Amino acid sequence: MQLFTKVTLSLFEGLGVTLKIFAMTLLMALPLGLVISLGSMSKFKVVKYPIKTLIWIIRGTPLMLQLIVFGLGPGLLGVRGMNMFVAVIIAFVLNYACYFAEIFRGGIESIPKGQYEAGAVLGLTKTQVFFKIILLQVIKRIIPPMGNEFLTLVKDTSLANTIMIYEITWNAKRMMNSEHILWPLFYSGVFYLVLCGIITLIFNYIEKKLDYYKG
Amino acid sequence: MAILEIKNIMKSFDKTEVLKDVSFSMEKGEVVSIIGSSGSGKTTLLRCINFLEKADKGQVVLNGEVIFDGAEKKKMTSEEIRRKQLNFGFVFQSFNLFPQYSAIENVVLAPKLLAKERPDFKHNKEEIYAEIEANAKRLLSSAGLETKYDNYPCELSGGQQQRVAICRALALSPEIMLFDEPTSALDPEITNEVLKVIKSLADEKMTMIIVTHEMAFARSVSDRIIFMDDGVIAEEGVPEEIFTAPKSRRLKEFLSNVRM
Repeated sequence: MQLFTKVTLSLFEGLGVTLKIFAMTLLMALPLGLVISLGSMSKFKVVKYPIKTLIWIIRGTPLMLQLIVFGLGPGLLGVRGMNMFVAVIIAFVLNYACYFAEIFRGGIESIPKGQYEAGAVLGLTKTQVFFKIILLQVIKRIIPPMGNEFLTLVKDTSLANTIMIYEITWNAKRMMNSEHILWPLFYSGVFYLVLCGIITLIFNYIEKKLDYYKG
Repeated sequence: MAILEIKNIMKSFDKTEVLKDVSFSMEKGEVVSIIGSSGSGKTTLLRCINFLEKADKGQVVLNGEVIFDGAEKKKMTSEEIRRKQLNFGFVFQSFNLFPQYSAIENVVLAPKLLAKERPDFKHNKEEIYAEIEANAKRLLSSAGLETKYDNYPCELSGGQQQRVAICRALALSPEIMLFDEPTSALDPEITNEVLKVIKSLADEKMTMIIVTHEMAFARSVSDRIIFMDDGVIAEEGVPEEIFTAPKSRRLKEFLSNVRM
């Protein structure tokens, strides 16, 4: 029983770090993703193509590799004292922003041209058209893929243990090694499961809220 | 003086010339229908009038003022275009209602946003909004939608949606209403409910240009008919003339191919 309490406390310690990575990533990757998506749809080629290339690189390489690049890269280049947590946040934000950008782009491009035209002939400014007409329709359409990304992010935070961030999985592994037992690893799964359950419920709620109209 | 003059409008998409030098004018209170087969350029002409498409050459003159000149289109700011578009109400073939707003919200959205630009807005906000809402209800009721104020577009039939769309355009009190095939997306049996609304506008002396495939309707509602063929006005005249004594070979062919 004492061991169980010890493991639980250790995992809760990790949970704090996991939640911090999760929240900070969303907070920064969502707006950055919108900027990247607008850039990837830009009519200026000097903006569009570098951004498309960035999206290709980030989505085309493993997140774990990106973590290592941002975690250990600066040291190799002679920059001393890189904070590993900062490296994790940079890698996660950049990675998720690129995925979010593609989801935003899909959502924005799925809105029929007629919606923009109807706004224009009614004398709305481009900003008003975007915020009063387009945005909510985009949000409704991207809720399901966004739900997927949020769930993936919860579980991806476990990759941070590769560069010594003490999140849930790192703590589970530490318990395994110090106590010579296997079950903390399975126990850690329960933490992810509960987090994902909560997120799923929240997304179901939002989806229901936006179900008052079709189209 | 003519309320609207269209002078030598030309428009190409890539290398296809869709409008080749189109000119016509109309008087206040006049109803003009544009007929012609698909691809003849009638929708493009309508869209050039309120700059949804920007003509390559030619002018749009409203009440004697040049509001669009193809030679100077690059100089027009989007703010200028926005202001000038407000002279026209536009009704789309596919309605284009905003799905997340109820019927009445669709109608009041633009007037409320525009009201914010009024100098007395801060002072009289409540009154202005109340007035806008009362006006929207009046418009919807006169289109037979008094029980549908709070319904969302997805809960309305196509005919009802199009009537809401007409009210939405009217709510900004445009000088000229432009209709782009307003009944083409509708089942034949509900076409009439939309045509009735347009007819009642004609009776109130609303200035209108209607692109339509409904020949019987065009004949009964219009003061004048324009027949477009291959990017030019092939023939124009009063409905009787056009439908009973067509002159050009193309119009004769067109009329023999459409059901009256």
